[in-house]
Amino acid sequence: MKRARSGGDEDAPRQNGSAGRRRGEQQQAGDGDDGGFDPADLQDEDSDPGLRREIRSKYRDLINSVQQNREDMVSLSNNKLTEVLEEANKLFKDVRQAREAALDAQLLVVATDLGKEKASQLFAEGTAFDPTAFAEHLLSFMGLNRLEDGEDEQQNGGAVDGYLPQDAWHRVARRAERCFSTAPSFHYMMGSFHAEPPPPKQRIERQRKVPSKEAKRIMPTQLKKMEDSHQEATEKEVERILGYLKSYYQDDPTSPISYYEFVIDPNSFSRTVENIFHTSFLIRDGLARMYLDSAELPCIAPVEEGEVEAGGTFSRKQCIISISPKIWK
Amino acid sequence: FCVQRQSGPQEEDEDTTFTQPTTTQVQRGLEKLTPAQVDQKTAEVVQYFLVKDQKKIPIRRADLVKHVVKEYRNIYPEIMKRASRIFDQVFGLKLVEIDPKNHMYILINKLETPEGASPITSPASPKMGLLFVILSVIFMKGGVVRENLIWNTLKKLRVDPGEKHEEFGDVKKVVTDEFVRQRYLEYVRIPHTEPVEHEFRWGQRAELEVSKAKILEFMGELHEQDPQSWTQQYREAHSTSSSSQASTSSQR
Repeated sequence: MKRARSGGDEDAPRQNGSAGRRRGEQQQAGDGDDGGFDPADLQDEDSDPGLRREIRSKYRDLINSVQQNREDMVSLSNNKLTEVLEEANKLFKDVRQAREAALDAQLLVVATDLGKEKASQLFAEGTAFDPTAFAEHLLSFMGLNRLEDGEDEQQNGGAVDGYLPQDAWHRVARRAERCFSTAPSFHYMMGSFHAEPPPPKQRIERQRKVPSKEAKRIMPTQLKKMEDSHQEATEKEVERILGYLKSYYQDDPTSPISYYEFVIDPNSFSRTVENIFHTSFLIRDGLARMYLDSAELPCIAPVEEGEVEAGGTFSRKQCIISISPKIWK
Repeated sequence: FCVQRQSGPQEEDEDTTFTQPTTTQVQRGLEKLTPAQVDQKTAEVVQYFLVKDQKKIPIRRADLVKHVVKEYRNIYPEIMKRASRIFDQVFGLKLVEIDPKNHMYILINKLETPEGASPITSPASPKMGLLFVILSVIFMKGGVVRENLIWNTLKKLRVDPGEKHEEFGDVKKVVTDEFVRQRYLEYVRIPHTEPVEHEFRWGQRAELEVSKAKILEFMGELHEQDPQSWTQQYREAHSTSSSSQASTSSQR
């Protein structure tokens, strides 16, 4: 019943977690193969939740530190990555359960990626290439006017103060072009006609789509024929509504006209909607006004003749009214 | 031939409507048509390519067949052969299939621009300058770089991917979308990165259109160094495998 791994085993520190698990299961067998190990100790270690948590926490710390300090880890100037791996090795000795081993695996994945990146930095034999120096030289090439007298013009918080000429990038492009063998873009030397989309048609200000089908609610007169000009139809309807509004108001100037009573047609939902639509024009043009009565219900009243000014001094307010068949019912 | 295609029997295409006709099929097809008809169709294909190439986005064979070749698809290889020859001899262009699997083509220039370049040619787009910077850094750094290196270098040149640039507009979009679609760059996710990071490589079009030797030459000028001082890059730029890059002589 040889232990899969013994305490002092330097050769294979990175055995997988299953070895640890097997070991845990073997604890019943209890024999003192590896100098000084007592099955009782083993039992405690394996199941002590505090220790387990500690190990997992240390792994997580390691993983975090590697991820946060990526630049550092990858730099060729230190051995931090190796140190991390050594640290992980030490931790691994105490790994017993799958959870911890999974963290170990995760750390290894991250470390491997960094290792790969670190190795790729060893690419340049001969002169190393420094992108910062490259940028500096390029800026000069572009014609950067470095400010002479330490004037603090913080342009984009750039490291180098100065001002780039308008054609900076054109200069680069012109020189760079030589490195490309791009097929020249096809274009007509002299077009036969000016190929441009036609200018957009002038939009008519008013809404053009008006479903002016039938008459309003009070007088159910049928409009048998559709008007040719939809625009006229709207205006007609709007005036009509204004007429009704004024007549109701005149009948009894003191009694407020309930907005809903005004617009709702008990027999037709679609007519109701049209009424609301046409009434909104009155409001917009300042020919009628809406207000809330003491019961917070909307009311409508025509604006006095003398007061009418479209888009006048009244403060402009907007309001959205919605209605659905259900509400209407 | 410049056009690389998979020869042989029907291969599995993503465009299931078009399968490569066999040589005998092509022969038979040609017999049924007049030379004028074939010429006309070839001319249409040439024009299609020239116009489509304006945006520098690779042209899909499926589109070509669907919109231009149409019922002449049974002599497709012959048309392509002739079109290729026209590009070569009339326009000094090379028709290249950059993606044999998905059948996508680009046009590149076969001719060498003379040193004292003609002032008549339209001025180079500043975007080419931007692209050049990115390609240079990637090449000098061994062929792959993490995106942050590119963004940081660009920032030093007053080009910030997070801000709208006077010349380039949405820089991030131009670099990671436009240049990638044009196949100048490859922008690939690096696995296991948190937050997600990508790396940049040269795209297929860049491999064909851009001369590493010339980039190194410019580098030498900028740094006032001998291009050979970058030994590894120099070696790569002048290796025989760079025959895929545009060369000075036109090859039949």
